[in-house]
Amino acid sequence: MDQRDAGFFDQFQRRTVEAAMARIIPTDHEPGAREAGAIDFLDRYLSGIDHVYAKPDGSGFAPPEGKRAEAWRQRIDIVRRKYREGIDELNQRSRAEFGEDFAQLPPDQQDFILTMMEGPVLDQEQAREEAETVAGFTPPEPALQQIAAETDLEFFPLLVLHTRQGFLADPIYGGNRNRVGWDVISFPGPTSLAEAHAGRYSTLPYFAGSADATGEEASR
Amino acid sequence: MMTKRNPDRADVCIIGAGASGATAAKVLTEAGLQVVTLERGPWWKPEQFSADELANVHRFNLWPDPLINPRTFQASADEEPTVQLFCPVPQMVGGGTAHWTGWLPRMTENEFRPKTIYGEVPGANLADWPITYQELEPYYDKVEWAFGVSGQAGANKYEGPRSRGYPCPPIPPTRYNQKFHEGCAKLGYNSFPTPSAALSCPYNGWPATNQSAFAQQHGDPTGTRGNAMTRFIPAALATGRFDLRPDCYVQEITIDAHGRARSAVYWDADGDSVEQEADLFILACGAIESARLLLMSRSGRFPNGLANGNDLVGRNATFHEYSAAIGAFEDPVYGWAGGGYVGASTFEFLEHAEGRDFVGGCHVASAGVGIPLPISFSLPDKPTWGQAAKDADREYFNHTMAVGLVLHDLPQETNRVELDDQVKDAWGLPVARITHTPHPNDLAQGRWIIDRNAEILEAAGATKVWRVYIDKVTGNCSHQHSTLRMGNNPDSSVLSKDCRTHEVDNLYAVDGSPFPTSTGVNPTLTIMANAWRVAEGVVARHGMPA
Repeated sequence: MDQRDAGFFDQFQRRTVEAAMARIIPTDHEPGAREAGAIDFLDRYLSGIDHVYAKPDGSGFAPPEGKRAEAWRQRIDIVRRKYREGIDELNQRSRAEFGEDFAQLPPDQQDFILTMMEGPVLDQEQAREEAETVAGFTPPEPALQQIAAETDLEFFPLLVLHTRQGFLADPIYGGNRNRVGWDVISFPGPTSLAEAHAGRYSTLPYFAGSADATGEEASR
Repeated sequence: MMTKRNPDRADVCIIGAGASGATAAKVLTEAGLQVVTLERGPWWKPEQFSADELANVHRFNLWPDPLINPRTFQASADEEPTVQLFCPVPQMVGGGTAHWTGWLPRMTENEFRPKTIYGEVPGANLADWPITYQELEPYYDKVEWAFGVSGQAGANKYEGPRSRGYPCPPIPPTRYNQKFHEGCAKLGYNSFPTPSAALSCPYNGWPATNQSAFAQQHGDPTGTRGNAMTRFIPAALATGRFDLRPDCYVQEITIDAHGRARSAVYWDADGDSVEQEADLFILACGAIESARLLLMSRSGRFPNGLANGNDLVGRNATFHEYSAAIGAFEDPVYGWAGGGYVGASTFEFLEHAEGRDFVGGCHVASAGVGIPLPISFSLPDKPTWGQAAKDADREYFNHTMAVGLVLHDLPQETNRVELDDQVKDAWGLPVARITHTPHPNDLAQGRWIIDRNAEILEAAGATKVWRVYIDKVTGNCSHQHSTLRMGNNPDSSVLSKDCRTHEVDNLYAVDGSPFPTSTGVNPTLTIMANAWRVAEGVVARHGMPA
C-alpha cells in the first residue's frame, strides 16, 4: 500500500517529522526510527480512524464503531492540530536560530531545536527538585498503567511517544519494519499477531532453568 | 430514543458482569433463580482479544476511553477537579479480569481485624470486618477450585489455614522470580510463587498457559488465563436461567412506594430506554461505579442517593497504589517473560508490626518494569529521546526488574466518590469525581517497604537500584474498595454483614465496595469469595422462587 496516498502529512510536513524522529531514535550501528518506518506508522495513524485498531489475528484492521468512532475522530482531530502547529513551530524556531528549515539542519542543530521544544532546562530542573523534595524521586511511571493520554500531551512529548510506538509497536501498524525495533532492544516478539492469537507464541524459553535462553543472545 | 416493551420481571437483577457479578450470577442461577445481568460494556469472545500492546495499552482497546467515560479527580475538596482516568477498569463482560494477570492471594486472618490490631490511628476511619477469615475460607476454596488457580499451598507462611491445596501447581518461576527468591532467601524472608489465574496445567477443559509476553493489560485469546467471562459466565448460562445483556447501561435504580428497589432503568445497545424489574438487585459495577449509580438514583425518599440516608455512600474510598524498587542485573532477567507479572511474592511486610512508623503493611512481589513491554518500558532516570535513550533501552530492557507493592491505604471519610457537577459522560450523565489525599501512614508505609524491596534487589545482586516512592494515590492498580462499607452498625456503614444495604432491604453490593478496609493484598479473589458468600446468603434468605 502506498503510505503517501493514505497519509495525512504533506511532503514538507512529512520530511520535517521524519527528520525529528531520526533524532529521537537515531540510527547508529543499528537501525533507528528512520529504518523502522516510524514516519509511515504516524502518517497512517493520522490519516483517519481506519487504522487505529488491527484485527486481533492481524488479518487487517477493524475501525471503531459507535461512540468509540466519535471519540477517535475527536482524538485524531486534536492530535492533527498539535502536529500542524508543532511542525510550524519547529520550522520557525529552526529558521530563527539557524536560518534553515528543520529538515535541512545538521544533527547537532536539530538536537538543539528539539531541546528547545522540550521546554526550558530550568523548568525541568525545578520540576525534578520539587519531585525529589516530596518523594525522593518521581519517575516516568514504572507503574501498572501507562496509558498514553495523547490529547493531554504537548507536541514534543507526543512526537516522542509516537516515535517510540512507530519503532516498537507490532509491525502491522506500519512501523517497526522487519521488527528492527524489537531487534535493537532484543525483544523476541511474536512473528505475527496471528501467532500470538493462536497461542503459538511462548516466552517459556526465557523462564528460569530453561536451556534455550543462554544469555544475552537468546535464541529466537 | 424510544421506550421498548419492558422485559419480564426477574428474580434477581445484577448490574455488572465483572469478577463479582459473574460469581454471583453463577451461584444464584445454579441455585435455581432467574437472573438478568445488565452489563454496560460489550461481551467479547476470547478470540476478540489480541497481543497488541499499541491497541490494548495505548489506545483504549480495553481501558475505558476518557473521551467517552471520563472521571475527575481532586486531592481535596478545596481543589478544582481535573479530568483524569483515575482507577480505570475495563467496562465489559469480565471487567478487570478481562485484561489482568490475575494475582490471587488470600487475605491473612489478621487483615480482617485492622482496627483491633492497629488501634486508633488519627485521621483514619479504621473498621474491623464484620466477617472473619474462617467465615470466608470455604468461599476462597470454592473460588480457587471453580475458577482455577495455580499455586503452592503452604508456601506462604503467613497464610491462614486452608481446607485444601490449589487445583493446579504453581507457575514455574521466571528469571526475575528467581532473583526475587534468591534475594529473599539471603535476607531470611519467606517467599512463595504468587497464586495465579494463569493455568499451569490443563483444568476444566482449558489448556495450560502458553506464557505469551502479552498478558498484563491484554485480554487472553487462548482462554488459558482465568477471566470471569470464561470461567463463571458459561456456568451461569448452562443453567438456562441466565440472561446476560451486554451494552446495557443502567442510569438509575427506582424504588416503589415502600422504598424497596423496584427496577433498573437502562439504555440498551440500540440506545432505547428499558426498565427491568426484579425482586432483588445486586450492584457489581466496581466500587466507584456502584457508588455513582446509587448517587444518581435520587428520589423523594432518598434525595441524596439511594441507601444514602447517612451520607456514607462513596466515603472512605480506598484504592491501593503500585510502586516499586527497580534493580538492574548483569545477566538478563527478561522482565517481559510470561507478560512480566508471573509473580513471586512475600508477605513479610504485610502483617502489622510494632516499632515501625506506620501501621499495617502489604503484599510485595516481583515483576518486570513497566507493563513491561517494548513501548511502555521505562526507568526512573531514563532519557526520553536521543542516543542516550536508545542506549538505555538496549542496555536495560532485558536486564531490569521490579520488586513492587500494592499500598495498603487507610480509609478516610474525606476520601470519597461523588458525582461531578460539571463533567458528563458520553451519555450525558454526571461522572464520578474522586477526592483522595493519602494518609501520612500510606506514604510512610510505602517508603519503608520500598526500602526493603530495594534491599531484596541488592541481596539478589543488583548492580543498580532505583527507589520509586509514592507521593500520591492515582488508582494505578485499578483496585477500588470501601465506598459502601459493610458493618454491623447502620450509623457507620452502608451495607450489613450480608452486603445488603441497611436502608433498602432488597438491594445488595458484591464488588470491592463492601470492603471496610483496602487490605494489603490484591482484592479480586476476596471480592469473588465474598460475592459467592453473599449470593449463598441471598438464596438462603429469599429462597427459591414460588
